Amino acid sequence: MNLLTKLFPGLKAQTVAQREQRLAYKLLVPSLLILIIIAAYPLCNVVYSSFTNAKFASSQKTEFVGFENYKKLLSVTVKKLESPDQRARKVLPREPIRYKELTRFNIGDNWYIVGASDREFLYSVGNTLVFTFWSVFLELLIGMGIALVVNSNFKGKGPMRAVMLIPWAVITVVSARIWEWMFRSNRTGLFNMIMDATGLSDGQLSFLTTPSLQMPAMIAVDVWKTAPFMALLLLAGLQTIPGPLYEAARVDGATKTKQFFAITLPLLKPTIAVALIFRTLDSLRVFDVFQVMLADRRYSMATYNYTQLIKFQDMGMASAIGVIIFILIFGFALSYMKILKVES
Amino acid sequence: MNKQQKKRLGTICLYIGVLLVAFYMLFPFLWALSSSFKDESQLQMVPATVMPRDADTGAIRFSLANYKSIFTDKTFLRGFLNSCIVAGGTTMLALSVGSFAAFALGKLRFKGRKVSLYVILMMTMFPQVTVLTGLYAVITALQMPAIANMILSYMLFTLPFTTWVLTSFFKELPEELLQSGRVDGATSFQTFRYILLPLTAPAMVTTGLLAFIAAWNEYLFALTFTAIEPSARTIPVAIALFTGTVARQEPFGEIMAAAVIVTVPIILLVLYFQRRIVAGLTSGAVKG
Repeated sequence: MNLLTKLFPGLKAQTVAQREQRLAYKLLVPSLLILIIIAAYPLCNVVYSSFTNAKFASSQKTEFVGFENYKKLLSVTVKKLESPDQRARKVLPREPIRYKELTRFNIGDNWYIVGASDREFLYSVGNTLVFTFWSVFLELLIGMGIALVVNSNFKGKGPMRAVMLIPWAVITVVSARIWEWMFRSNRTGLFNMIMDATGLSDGQLSFLTTPSLQMPAMIAVDVWKTAPFMALLLLAGLQTIPGPLYEAARVDGATKTKQFFAITLPLLKPTIAVALIFRTLDSLRVFDVFQVMLADRRYSMATYNYTQLIKFQDMGMASAIGVIIFILIFGFALSYMKILKVES
Repeated sequence: MNKQQKKRLGTICLYIGVLLVAFYMLFPFLWALSSSFKDESQLQMVPATVMPRDADTGAIRFSLANYKSIFTDKTFLRGFLNSCIVAGGTTMLALSVGSFAAFALGKLRFKGRKVSLYVILMMTMFPQVTVLTGLYAVITALQMPAIANMILSYMLFTLPFTTWVLTSFFKELPEELLQSGRVDGATSFQTFRYILLPLTAPAMVTTGLLAFIAAWNEYLFALTFTAIEPSARTIPVAIALFTGTVARQEPFGEIMAAAVIVTVPIILLVLYFQRRIVAGLTSGAVKG
């Protein structure tokens, strides 16, 4: 480089701006390279292999199958039933793909059956959406409660704000294991012990194997773990609201409740929006809690994806699931952004 | 009710609220702590007791059996070591590479600055599950050990985050620093290395800590990439798949002891850095 500039003085006439630009590119290379390897290329690869029958960890030849994987995942059919309790296998198609019963419903006197070629996947989507809705909703409520309490003036405010961070700091898998232990199906479990002692149940509730209790259990674990995060964001938002506003309201005779709805809530709106986006996108890809506590008993979209990849070694199918999840999450993100822009 | 009584009632309600919140945040951890001191017969007591009690006499008795057995259990210790290497390596790599990029994005003028910033930000929106299969293909092709694979793949969520937070820090540093460096004949990189970088040390600590916690916590990639190399399992995977020393039923006492041991250092870290974490989280979030 030095030799070059000596030989050709013209090269030295590089301006400060040009040098700055070159340095900037050099500094960005490592980051961009890493992101291409771990994000851009894998993403392209996922899209490509979702159209193939690729097998994971196998030497089998990969063939292009078009939309076959997507068809298998998303095919749904509705058939009319002769009687409400007619057997599903009598009505639903079995060739070329076997359909399984998803649900039944009736319009007037006629009963219909909905069949899906991969009902586990559709269940996993449903589970994830239900999980996301309830956990984000409860988190917002509880997080708001915590934030309001912690934001008030009391002795021990400092330690309390630290305590608030503890659930967030616990490894998700560890908290899932702790809750699994508390959820034990006899009175050695904390919840059954308490419910039996207070007479709420007979102390034999099996939270993780009873279908109707599985989702509430998952939601409880997630809300405990992430409400502090929500509270933290809301607390930051609360602290930006100027105190004189409340004083003025107090002088005007507004009650605490009125102050909350007239001042706090409207001014907190942007913070709430950001927190909601963060948490919704996070919940939609929930993995740890479902995998540890329910494993193959009930899937989230992410655990179903993992099962297809590792257990069934079906890379093509897993990729197609990944693409669908991506589109779903992206749709959520875009619609959130749009709603936010409309508001501001 | 007069004004004074009203005020007193408000204070009482507030303290009840505080106690409720503290209880809600802490009870699972306290239950784990108490269970970790129970031996097998105490764990099976019906109904379960809040304090570890002797199964026959009912007197309070702490047992250290679970702690003893996890410290002689190789999968736990190895997992702990693996986690330290993976989380530490991830933090170092994300901070060094991220600070380079952040300096360029925050302080230098160049074409494509906005585009690069947005490309990096977009990565945070990426669902990990989506790239799982594609990343597996890359990793098989690279043929690196599982530990290195994890460090590299954790860049997916740590690198955008560190770059993002550090960029805003660099932006806030006064422009004069760069100019004075230039006047003194230092190159931009020297100014970065010797003047700006030391000034960002507090930001480095915060973002580093958050990156460390994120990597320490990660499960999906770790579970996938150690599926064929069990010796590289990190703590979350080790605890999730914990079978204990004796193969009968799930060794919950040992799991609870392991849970306590891996949680305590993180809690201490969080308590110590509490204020900085709050600042880091909120600044990152609000800019999103």
